[in-house]
Amino acid sequence: MAGNRGDSAMGSDRFGEVRIENVTKTYKKKDSSSTVLQDCTFRIERGRLTALMGPSGCGKTVLINLIAGYEIPTTGQIFLNDVPVTKPDPERLVVFQESALFSWMTVYSNVIFGCRVQGMPRKEMKDRAEHILRTVGLYEFRDKYPSQLSGGMQRRAELARALINDPKIMILDEPFRGLDALTRQLMQEFYVELFEDGGRTNFFVTHEIDEAIFLADRLVIMTFQPGKIKAEIEVDLPRPRKFGMLASHRFMEIREYAIELLYEEAAKAFAAGSKSAYDLVGAIVAQKGMSQKCE
Amino acid sequence: MRRVKKYFTASTWRGFLSLMVFVALWQLVIFLKVPYLERLPYPADVATEGAKAVQSSGYWYNWKVSMIRIFTGFAVAQIIGIPLGLAIGLSRVFRGFTFPIFEMLRPIPPIAWIPLAILFWPTRELSIYFLVFLGSFFIIVINVIQGVGNIPVSLKWAATSLGARRKDIFWRILVPGSLPSIVVGMTVGMGVTWEVLIAAEMIAGKGGLGRATWEAYTNSAFPSIIVGMLSIGLAGYLCSALIRKISDMFMPWKRKF
Repeated sequence: MAGNRGDSAMGSDRFGEVRIENVTKTYKKKDSSSTVLQDCTFRIERGRLTALMGPSGCGKTVLINLIAGYEIPTTGQIFLNDVPVTKPDPERLVVFQESALFSWMTVYSNVIFGCRVQGMPRKEMKDRAEHILRTVGLYEFRDKYPSQLSGGMQRRAELARALINDPKIMILDEPFRGLDALTRQLMQEFYVELFEDGGRTNFFVTHEIDEAIFLADRLVIMTFQPGKIKAEIEVDLPRPRKFGMLASHRFMEIREYAIELLYEEAAKAFAAGSKSAYDLVGAIVAQKGMSQKCE
Repeated sequence: MRRVKKYFTASTWRGFLSLMVFVALWQLVIFLKVPYLERLPYPADVATEGAKAVQSSGYWYNWKVSMIRIFTGFAVAQIIGIPLGLAIGLSRVFRGFTFPIFEMLRPIPPIAWIPLAILFWPTRELSIYFLVFLGSFFIIVINVIQGVGNIPVSLKWAATSLGARRKDIFWRILVPGSLPSIVVGMTVGMGVTWEVLIAAEMIAGKGGLGRATWEAYTNSAFPSIIVGMLSIGLAGYLCSALIRKISDMFMPWKRKF
């Protein structure tokens, strides 16, 4: 599986490589301005899964909006395969934090939305949709409406809606947030397999440190207000990933290192009064306590 | 299945029982000569009057007249109001030009328009159509504006990312996305429309359920007044039920399942 990935991804333009260069994003209010991102420079490497972590309010979502082309940077530039990003495009698709399925369309209509508005022939559209629906295990549910699906199924439908367009990069903004623990774990397993089979460039934003390390080839850690790139960590765990690896020595090492880095930022966010930072600090403190006990 | 059926009969029984209690209280109030309420007609008299009414063609003519007025005014309000609401909701420029006038006229109760409407329109019938129109027009427009505004920006972004152009966004996202608000606007508007219609008929109408009720008053025909009131209530209920039915048809994703 890992071999396949390399062959299809390397040196081809099928999947994208994103370069973020000196990107700063400032929002002007009436008489003040706030800098959300400052001089961010990093790469989302071709055919790899890059996870972005950082406390709430560090501008993760803004960064996604910039890569997707919904907003433009105040200064600096973003490139996909050396072409500057200026507007939204089916090459760069986002799976949103809260479901962005169209509630008035069936699963099938949601999935073919992109193909339909781009004018794909009906036959090809149908074949592709059936294939992708089977891949994500929603073929039996194609005539249901999103509100009739469980949270995990909605997420898979959203993945299918993006994947059918064969994007050069998939951007996921905390896609498993709000799912219950078991569903979340199943979705992580499903998603990592999907990634390992497809070998597409993926950019995954998350709060959860275990999730990030389990899924990613590389971690990018951001600072709190203004958002800068604090560190990049290679995750050299073997693929295919299995949940058993969460107990491995290497996993623990990476996690501890990441926690150290994150803790500083989370503490800063906490001091600044961010509610979700409070939760993150709580979680990290608990994890720190545990790992110290182990030693 | 059996439990559902059993529950259904229980609630039906409760409804029936409460109705019986209500009629019994009504009877009792007259029997005990409760001050001010003693002049109410007996339920039996109302029932007799009602039975007489449904056999007369005049009664059904009044139904027809009121219904035509309701649906003409209401339909015109939707035909003009929905596109107007969408336009105001979508275009900042258009909103800037039209919304202030709209917001100036909106707080005026439709009934306050009656004198002007009677003077302005050449026939009484047209002025009633106009009043009914006003009753639902402002409500539908404001609801459509809100409906458009409530569509999450992430849906528009997702659609744009997937390659949708402006017309796709409009027809496939904004219109269906604001449908629930449109239905709310229609439901509320239908209620207000009946209020306005009855007032307009009582003041200016020829025929119609409101007029019939008013004429019963001028004849001091107590049972007929109540028959008229109940008919108006039933007519309003039927119109709302029709809107619910239509909205279920157009919004399969909102159906109970």
